[in-house]
Amino acid sequence: MAQLPISNQETPPARSSFKWQATDLVWIAGLILLLIGAWGMWQRVAYGLFPTSLNSYVPWGLWVGFYDYLVWLEVGSLLVFTTLVYLVGFKALNRLKPIVLFTGLVILFAALLIVLLDLGRPLRFWHVYIYPDFGSMITWMVWLHTLYLVVLLAELLLVMGWLSVAEGPKERILKGLAYLSLPMGLALIIVSGSVFGVVTARPLWNTSSLPLMFLISSLAAGSGLLALLAVLFWPDKKAAEYRQVVGRLARLTAWLLLGGAFAASIIGLTFLYQGSPARAEALMLMLTGPFWWSFWIVHILLGVVVPILILFNQPDKPAWVGVAATLSVITFVAVTLNVVIPVLATPELEGLALSYVDPKMRYDYVPNTAEWLLVTFIAGLGALLYGLGLRWLPVKPKA
Amino acid sequence: MSQEDDLLKEALHGDEVSRRSFLGKFASAVFAGLVAPAVAGKVEPLHAAPATQAGNLVPLLNLPEAIEGEHPVERMMDDLRRALQKPMDQRKWGMVIDLRKCTGCSGCNIACVTENKLPPGVTYRPVMTETQGTFPNVARRFVPRPCLQCDNPPCTPVCPVKATWKRADGITVIDYDRCIGCRYCMTACPYSARYYDFGTFYGDSEGGERQPYELLPTPEYGKNYLRDRGGSPIGNVRKCHFCIHRIERGDLPACVLSCMGRATYFGDMNDPRSLVSELIAQPNIMRLKEELGTDPKVFYLV
Repeated sequence: MAQLPISNQETPPARSSFKWQATDLVWIAGLILLLIGAWGMWQRVAYGLFPTSLNSYVPWGLWVGFYDYLVWLEVGSLLVFTTLVYLVGFKALNRLKPIVLFTGLVILFAALLIVLLDLGRPLRFWHVYIYPDFGSMITWMVWLHTLYLVVLLAELLLVMGWLSVAEGPKERILKGLAYLSLPMGLALIIVSGSVFGVVTARPLWNTSSLPLMFLISSLAAGSGLLALLAVLFWPDKKAAEYRQVVGRLARLTAWLLLGGAFAASIIGLTFLYQGSPARAEALMLMLTGPFWWSFWIVHILLGVVVPILILFNQPDKPAWVGVAATLSVITFVAVTLNVVIPVLATPELEGLALSYVDPKMRYDYVPNTAEWLLVTFIAGLGALLYGLGLRWLPVKPKA
Repeated sequence: MSQEDDLLKEALHGDEVSRRSFLGKFASAVFAGLVAPAVAGKVEPLHAAPATQAGNLVPLLNLPEAIEGEHPVERMMDDLRRALQKPMDQRKWGMVIDLRKCTGCSGCNIACVTENKLPPGVTYRPVMTETQGTFPNVARRFVPRPCLQCDNPPCTPVCPVKATWKRADGITVIDYDRCIGCRYCMTACPYSARYYDFGTFYGDSEGGERQPYELLPTPEYGKNYLRDRGGSPIGNVRKCHFCIHRIERGDLPACVLSCMGRATYFGDMNDPRSLVSELIAQPNIMRLKEELGTDPKVFYLV
């Protein structure tokens, strides 16, 4: 009997060949968060929205705020990246493309999951595709998000080399997809702002400036995320190119933060000067209500003032840029929460709050443990996927 | 003269009658008047206690709802039946609430909850209390707030799945089987008139055993939805629909029929002979948040 040829005479890799990487901390942290948040997920699956603080007068809260925050990060980072690489010609940044796309995709996944779980009947999500009403901003948002997901996925698969396309056509396709993602991303951000902007019942939302503010905020948050990705994943930290890339992203982020703060101040001051009770009441609730600190300390101080000071003063010191970008990226969630909650927590009719006393008919909404635990679960799931992707997928920039 | 008149006259003028016995007899007369139509299966003209009590002071014919001596409920029923003979797109349902008569008893809300088998956290017709002025010049009024059935509703175009729309007869409805529970319509309603069904039962907080009345199907939209199986309308947005299921079988909405102060009127606004058309033409009519241009079809007499 002929002996079967042994194709690989080398000894199989020992189990101890698994080498820990710094990025493994991401999926480990994800796993921990996933376990902590599992109770929240169970509550959501078993009892619907009942365990949350959401109610009939404040129907949107923490989860919608987080959804918009994630959309800002995801679309903003890709818009800034594509604009800089393909329109401005900042080619050095192209090295970050796989990690930028992968980060965007994971954030997009988390955003879609959190908004799916915010639905009262999540298993009917497909109704938006079968019975769409294109007069609704949510329909546009879902459709654009779906198309965006497809484009993003195609780009990532191409970049990772998982689609067998020759190098020449591949570059052209990638360029085409990048150009396609620009108007789609712009539309997605404008539409996500318009979801609130078209609501005539809520005067503070109902302004044409809101979608534009969403765009500026998204670009600022996205630019900060890009700077952070550059600091974390740039392969050759000693190269001059690294400092140049980080420096340019730092300055861009600082200017976008400054521009956004300037525009928001003008809009806010105009509203206060107008004195329109419905607008002023919601705005004052944001500025001086029980959660004033989330606006003034978390967003303005830690998310705008400190990052701007650092980014303008230390743009060439990547460590400082990383700190500033992290602060900015994390604290941006306070903005979306302050866009969503104070407006809904302002009664539309005086006397309604006390007309029928029920825990699910109240205006004093504060996100509860069940809501935070679900956010923790989704953050954990996102981190787990991200960490595993960093280990197993070819997404980290090569030297 | 009716039995109620005799009772009241005796109660008002009889020296030997105590206050307690007067109230007892008076309440009995009122209660008998409210219950009698249901027992007899027909709405009888109620020259009821309040009218008779004030019979010597306020002529009955001066009351707007008692034109030609006809009882408002009877008249509204006639209006309703006349409207139902027309095609749907030729009638326009409207409601008038006389704030001068509303006592804030919330009976309309209870009737609505009972009729539609509403769970905790869902109410279609809360009664708001407004206090104006400061002591000693202080006034209080009660404002029931059903769905205002706007002609230009901000809540319907925002629905991503066409699950809510305005019918040809002016009533805004929801398809519970299509609604995905995104609650966008709730944020878009300027009157907070939409409610989310969180899937709870009154029995949940009373020992965990669901009460028999909670297991009854809700007759909304004529579909008999059973909530205890976990299906719709749990996870959906719900709202007042003027009791379509009652209207279409020739009954008045539960809130209208249950109003003990006779403060709520309902009918076809396209019919110039209807009671609501007559009341809407009064100069002291107003609507909530008219400046928004929603064109509500619930009017308030102030």
